[in-house]
Amino acid sequence: MTGFIRRFGFLVLVLGLALLGPGCGGNNTSTSSAASQELNVGFTEDQYVLEGPDAGLGMYPLNANIFETLTYLTPDYEVKPLLAERWEFRAPNTWRFFLRKGVKFQNGKPLNAQAVKEGLFDRVAKTEGGGTIEAGPDSAKVVDEYTIDFTPTGENLRVPEQLVHPSNGVVAPGSDIGEKPVGTGPFRFVDYLPKERIVVERNPDYWGEKAKLDRITFRFYPDANSRRLALEAGEIDFAYEVPRQDVESLKDKGLKIMNSPVGAYEAMYANIHGEPPHGLLQDVLVRKAVAYGIDREALVQEVLDGLATTDQTFVPPSSLEPYASLVKGFTYDPEKAKSLLEEAGWTPGADGVREKNGRPLKLTLVSGFPSAEAHRPIPTFVQSQLKEIGIEVEIVERPDSASYQALIDSGQGDLYLEQGSQNDANPGFLPVLLFYTGGTGASAPYQSLFAPGPEFDRLIAPSLTAVDTDKVRKSVAEAMHYAIDEQAVIIPLAGIYRIYGMKDSVEGFEPHPSSLNVRWNGVSLSG
Amino acid sequence: MRAYALRRLALLIPTLLGISLLAFALANLTPGDPAETYLRRVLDRQPTPAQVVETREELGLDRPFVVQYLDWVGHAVRGELGVSYSTRRPVVEEIGRRIPFTLELAVPAALLALAIAIPVGVISAVYRNRLPDQVVRVCSLAGASVPSFWLALLLISLFAVRFSLVPVAGRQGPASVVLPIFALALTPAAVLARFTRSTMLETLGEDYVRTARAKGLPGWRVVGRHALRNSLIPVVTAFGTSLGHLLVGAVVIESIFIWPGLGKLAIDAILQRDYPMIQALVLYSGVVFVAINLLIDLSYTLLDPRIRLGGPGEGSS
Repeated sequence: MTGFIRRFGFLVLVLGLALLGPGCGGNNTSTSSAASQELNVGFTEDQYVLEGPDAGLGMYPLNANIFETLTYLTPDYEVKPLLAERWEFRAPNTWRFFLRKGVKFQNGKPLNAQAVKEGLFDRVAKTEGGGTIEAGPDSAKVVDEYTIDFTPTGENLRVPEQLVHPSNGVVAPGSDIGEKPVGTGPFRFVDYLPKERIVVERNPDYWGEKAKLDRITFRFYPDANSRRLALEAGEIDFAYEVPRQDVESLKDKGLKIMNSPVGAYEAMYANIHGEPPHGLLQDVLVRKAVAYGIDREALVQEVLDGLATTDQTFVPPSSLEPYASLVKGFTYDPEKAKSLLEEAGWTPGADGVREKNGRPLKLTLVSGFPSAEAHRPIPTFVQSQLKEIGIEVEIVERPDSASYQALIDSGQGDLYLEQGSQNDANPGFLPVLLFYTGGTGASAPYQSLFAPGPEFDRLIAPSLTAVDTDKVRKSVAEAMHYAIDEQAVIIPLAGIYRIYGMKDSVEGFEPHPSSLNVRWNGVSLSG
Repeated sequence: MRAYALRRLALLIPTLLGISLLAFALANLTPGDPAETYLRRVLDRQPTPAQVVETREELGLDRPFVVQYLDWVGHAVRGELGVSYSTRRPVVEEIGRRIPFTLELAVPAALLALAIAIPVGVISAVYRNRLPDQVVRVCSLAGASVPSFWLALLLISLFAVRFSLVPVAGRQGPASVVLPIFALALTPAAVLARFTRSTMLETLGEDYVRTARAKGLPGWRVVGRHALRNSLIPVVTAFGTSLGHLLVGAVVIESIFIWPGLGKLAIDAILQRDYPMIQALVLYSGVVFVAINLLIDLSYTLLDPRIRLGGPGEGSS
C-alpha cells in the first residue's frame, strides 16, 4: 500500500484538485439584493415563437409585462379596462373601442387607433384563423385618433373577454417582436437569451402606476426540481408553478407560498359516442356511477396534498358567478354508484369486476393532456376507486399532448383525463370549443366523442349571441349543469390553482389564476 | 490511409440517407400531428379543423410521405435543412447556436472521464484483488449504475444549495459548468475505468510483459510503456462511443442544469413533433458518429504500428 501511495499519490492529488478547484473558485451566484429592486424569477419552459405571424417574444407564454392588451383579466375573471378605457357593441357584429389617451410605446411613439390597428388587429389577422378574436385583414377600421372599430370575420360577441389574453398585446408598429419587442407595458425589453433568460427593466415613461422593481430577470427552468432548488439556494427570488409536493418543505425553509383562486380543472370526459369496445359509456347510468364512485375529498387531501379544491364547475367557479351554484356536482356515494350499475344490468362477477352478458365492465382511462406527468398519480387513484364499485380501469398514458390527441382522434378510450386552464374571461370558451356542435369553430375530434347533443347546444347557444356578460355566465352555468349533473359527460375531479413560491422579501404580488396574466408593476422587494 | 479515409467519408452519404429515411419514417409514424401540436401551443387552446388544415398546408404536411421525404432530400443536398415548425427559424441556425453549448460540456466531460478512467483503471489492474482494486471496482460499478438525473440533483443539493459553491442551474459564469461536467463525466469515467482495468489485466499477463519484467525493467516502465499502450485500443474504441454520446447532447443533464444544448433541443423537437429539427439532429448525430469512428480507426495506427489501414485486408493485423 505504501508503494501505491508513493507511486500514484501525486496523481490522485492532482485529479482531486482538478475536480474541486473550479467548484471552490466558483462565485456564489445568489445575486439578488432586496435593496437593489432587482428580481430574479424562475419560469417554466421557454416556448417563445420568434418568427412569423405567431412571434411573441416577451408576450406569450411568459408575459414579461412588455406589452399590454386593450382589456385586462382580474384574478376573479372580471374584464377591466387597460389600453381601452371603454368599449361598446354595435350591432350586428362590431366592437368599438375607445382608447386611453396619453399612452406612449417604449420607443416614444404614441398609442393611437392606427397603432392598435397595425400592432394588434392586423397582426392577429395574419395568424391561423385570425386568433381567438377571429380577426380578418379588413376587421379593423380607424374611426378617429383614439377610437377603433373591430368586426370579426365570424359572429363573435366575446371579443372584450378574449382580448385579455396576452397574445392580443399591442405591438409598436414597425418593431420586430422576435428581436426587440416594444410595447406600452410597465417594463421594457433589455435582453433575451433563448432557453436561458429574458430581462426587462422599469419603463420610466409608463402611463400608469410605475413599476417598483428596477429590473426583472426571468430565467427558464423547465425542470421543476431545478426550479425549486434554485429558489432554495436563493438563486431566484420567485418561482412559478411550484410542485404541490414541495410546498411544505419550502415553507419550512422560510419561503413564502401564495395560491391563486381556482383557474384550472382536472376532469374526465366520457366517450359517449364510442364504437365497441369503447361504447360502454353511452349508458348515462354507468357514467353517473363513475362520477359517484370517486371520493373527491380524498383525492384533494391525499393525492393533491390538500392543495386543490373539490370544485366541480369545470370552468373556474368565479367565472360563472353568481350562477356557479347551478352546477351541483357529485358527492362520494359508492352505494349509489353500485345501485346505478345494478340498474344498468351490470352484476358483480367472480373476480369483483361487474359483468353483463358475459362481458366485463372494463374502461380505458386515457391520460396525457397536457402530459401524463401532470396528472400522476390521479389515474391510479381513479383506478382504485372504481375498482371498489366493480369497474376495472385500464390506464393508458401518453407522454405529451400530441400523442394524446391521436387517441382522441381514434376514439380508442372511454374516459379522457385532462387538465385545462381558463386564460380569458369567456367562461363559454372551452365548453363551446370542446362540446358544442352548432358552430364551425369547434374541435371536431372532441365533438365526435363527447358532444352531449342538442339540449346542451340549446343551453349554451345564448352564450354566443349575448352581449351581456351576466347572460353568458347564466347560459354557460346551465349548460354545465346539464353536461355534468344530468349527463355526466364531464366528470369533474378537482379545481386547480396556481402555486407561486417566493422569498419573504417579495411584496405586493397578486397571485393570478391565469399565470399568463400576472402583472409585475405592483411587486417590490423589501429591505 | 488517405484513400481509406476518403472511402470512409464517401460511405457517409448512403449512411446518412439511410438514417434520414429511417428517422423520417419513424417521425411520421409517431402519433401526433405537428400542425395541431404547434397550434395548441401558439393558440393556447384546441385548434379548429380549418386552422389545422391551413397549417398542414403551410408546413407541407398535406403531401404524401414520399414526396415530403424527396423534397427534404432535395433541399438537404443544397445544405437547406428547413425551418423549425416550433420556432419558425432555420434549423441549421438553431443547431449551430446550440453546438457550442453542448461542446462546452462534452469536451471537458470527455477529457475528465479519460483523465479519471485511465489512471484508475491502471491502478486497479496493477493492484489486482488488493485494496485499491477493490475500491476502484466498487466505485466504478456505482458510477456506472447511478442514474444521471439522481446524481445531478444530489450534486445540486450538496454543492449549490447546501454549500453555495456553484449555481444551481443555467449558464451563470465559469462555475456553472462544474456540476454538469462532473455529472456527465461520471458514467463514461466508470465504464472506461472498467474497460481499462480488464484490458490491462489481459496485457499484463502477456509473455512480452513477463519478458520485460524478467529483463529487470522498472515496474512503472513495464506498465506505462509496454502494457498500457497495447491496452489502449479497446479503451479508445469505448471512449469514441462515449464521446459520440456526449457530443450529440445529454437530454437529462441539459434539462436539469438548464443548459441550452443539443440534447434539450432534441427532446423539445420530439415533443413538438418538429420534423425538420428531428431530421437535422439525426443527420448531425450520424455525422458525429461516423467521424468519430473514422478518427478512432485512424488512431489505431498510431497506437499500434502493426496496423495498416487501407492495405490488403484493411484492418488490424
